[in-house]
Amino acid sequence: MQSNVLEWLDRTADRQAEKICYRDDRESITFAEARQEVRRMGEALAERLESGSGGDGSALEVSPVAVMLGRSVRTILGYLAVVYAGHCYAPVDAALPAERIRSMLDTLRGAPVLTDREHAGVLRQLGFTGTVLLMEELAAGCEKAGCKEANIKEANSKEAEAAGGGTGLSLARGRSASDPLYIIFTSGSTGRPKGVITAHASLMNYIEAYREVMNIGADDILGNQSPLDYIAAIRDIYLPLLTGCSSYLIPREYFMEPERLFDCLEKNRVTAVGWSVSAFTVPAALGAFAEPGGLRLSALRKICFSGSVMPGRVLRLWQTALPWARFVNQYGPTEATASCTYYPVDHPAGEDETLPIGVPYRNYRVFLLGEDGRAVPQGEEGEICVGGPVLALGYYNDPDRTARDFIQNPLNRSFFERIYRTGDYGVFRADGMLEFHGRRDRQIKHMGHRVELDEIETAAMKRDGVGECAALYQPDKEIIYLFYTGSLSPREVILGLRESLPGFMVPRRVKQLGALPKLPNGKTDMAALRERMR
Amino acid sequence: MREELLEILQDVRPDVDFEKEQKLIGDGILESFDIISLVSELNDAFDIEITPRELKPENFNSLDAMLALIQRLQEE
Repeated sequence: MQSNVLEWLDRTADRQAEKICYRDDRESITFAEARQEVRRMGEALAERLESGSGGDGSALEVSPVAVMLGRSVRTILGYLAVVYAGHCYAPVDAALPAERIRSMLDTLRGAPVLTDREHAGVLRQLGFTGTVLLMEELAAGCEKAGCKEANIKEANSKEAEAAGGGTGLSLARGRSASDPLYIIFTSGSTGRPKGVITAHASLMNYIEAYREVMNIGADDILGNQSPLDYIAAIRDIYLPLLTGCSSYLIPREYFMEPERLFDCLEKNRVTAVGWSVSAFTVPAALGAFAEPGGLRLSALRKICFSGSVMPGRVLRLWQTALPWARFVNQYGPTEATASCTYYPVDHPAGEDETLPIGVPYRNYRVFLLGEDGRAVPQGEEGEICVGGPVLALGYYNDPDRTARDFIQNPLNRSFFERIYRTGDYGVFRADGMLEFHGRRDRQIKHMGHRVELDEIETAAMKRDGVGECAALYQPDKEIIYLFYTGSLSPREVILGLRESLPGFMVPRRVKQLGALPKLPNGKTDMAALRERMR
Repeated sequence: MREELLEILQDVRPDVDFEKEQKLIGDGILESFDIISLVSELNDAFDIEITPRELKPENFNSLDAMLALIQRLQEE
C-alpha cells in the first residue's frame, strides 16, 4: 500500500513513462518528465530551505510552503516538488487582492513562498520579509548541477529503460500517510480565510473512491476547470498519478465562450470532467444548447458536478446533448477532502427537480445529528456530519475553530472518534439517499465557491464611509446583494471591496439606504431587505 | 445607442471604466456571470439575439466592439 502521493507518481511513471500526464495550452509533460522535474525542483527546494531561514522555526515535522503561481502545468509540478522537499504546499492565487494574500500568508506565519518572476511583484507590494523562492532560480540551480533542459529528454528515456532501478521518488525521510499534504484556504466568517490542512491518506482515500465511482482509467483525458488553488482541482492533479490518465488544464476564459470550450473539449478528446455547477450553467445560460446539434461533444462521457445545487433544467439540457454520458452529483466540504457523498443520476432530470446528494463514498461515514446531539430518525432533518479517514487534520493555526468544528462523535461513548460538523442540513429518504436542505448560518455556495456573507460585511465595514451593512444572497439568480448606510457611493463601496475580496465575493448589487430596516429587538430586518432584492 | 450601452454596462459592473478598457475578456475583467447578465440585457434592450457563436472575446473586449456587434445584429 502506498503511503504518499509521490509513490503514485513513481509507480505510474515506471509503468507508462512516455504517456502525457499534464497538459496546458503551452506545454505537455509526460509521466517520466513529471517525475524528473519534481525530483530536480524538489531537491533544489530542499537545499534552499535547509540552508536558508525558511519555515516558521516551529518543531513541526512538515511545515508549509505557500505556492503562488499562475494556471499552468508548472504550478502542479511546484506543488509536488514542495512535497518531495518534505513540506506541504499552500496554494495562494496571485490574482487575489493583496489584502487577502496578506491574510493567508499571516495564517501561514512567515512560511516561505514559491513563486516566479511574473507573480513575485505582489510580495514586494506587501513588504513580505520571509523567504522567497523563484521557480526560475530552482531551474537555474538545476542547470548549474548539469541537468540542462536539453538533457532532460535523453535522461528520461534512459530512466525509462532503467525503470525500477533506483530512479524513483521514494521518500525515506520517515514520512507517514498521516503527514499533511496541502493547506487549502476557504472563506471564514471572521474575515480571515481558514486554511484547511489535509493529510496524504485523506486525499488518497478520496481519489481512490472517486476513481471507483467515476470509473476513471488510464485511457481517460480529464478536462480541468477548477482553479488550481481550489479544492476541486485535487481530482485533476492526482487522478493521473493514481490511474495513468491525463489532465488538460482548460484556459479559464474558454468557460465564457461555449463554442471555444466545446471545440477545445472535442479537439483534446476530453472524456471526463468534474466541474463546479456554474461551469455547466454558464454555457446553458448563454444558449449553447439552443440549436440542436449546434455544438458537438462526442468524446465526453463521464461528468461529475459539485459546488452548489444543479438546476434541473440545466442538467436536462446537458443530458439531452450527451445522451451517452453518465452524470454524477457530488456533495461535500473541503474539510472532508472535497466530497463525501455522490448520486449517479439515473433518469432524465425534471425541470424543477432537486437532485439528492446520494450515498457516502467508500470509507466515508455520513450521518445526521439533531440539535440535542442524538441521531435523528430516518425522514427527519439533522446536521450532516462526516467521519472516517478522509477528514482534514483541522484549520492551520486555528485550534479554537478546529475544536469547534471537528468534534468527538457524540454517538460514540466508547472510544475517541473524530467527526466534522458540516453546518449543512439534510434528510435521509426511505431509499437511503441523502437530500440537501441548506444551512442555518450565513454561508452560501456561490459560483462553486464557499462564501461567508459575514466576511463580506466585515470587509465592507472596514471602509471609512460605510455605517451599517447587510449582505444577502439570491440563489436563483446567483446574485449577492449588499445594503449599506453611509457616505460612500455604491461604486466606491464596490471599488473598496475589490481591494480586499476575491471577485466572486464582491456583491453584484450594492444599494445605499438612509437606514437599514430594524426588528423590534434592534436587529436588522433581513426579511424586509429580502423584499428589496429585485 | 452608445450612451444606452454604457449605462447597461455600468449597471452590471460599476467598478469598470468601459470607456478605457480594451481587453475586458482577455484580461479577465468581465467574469462569466457578467457575460450572462450582459447578454440577456443587451438582447432585451436592443432587440437582438446574441447566439453562442457570437460569444467571442473580440465581440466583448471593449465598448466599441460591443457596439459593432449590436449594430451588426440589428442589421441582420
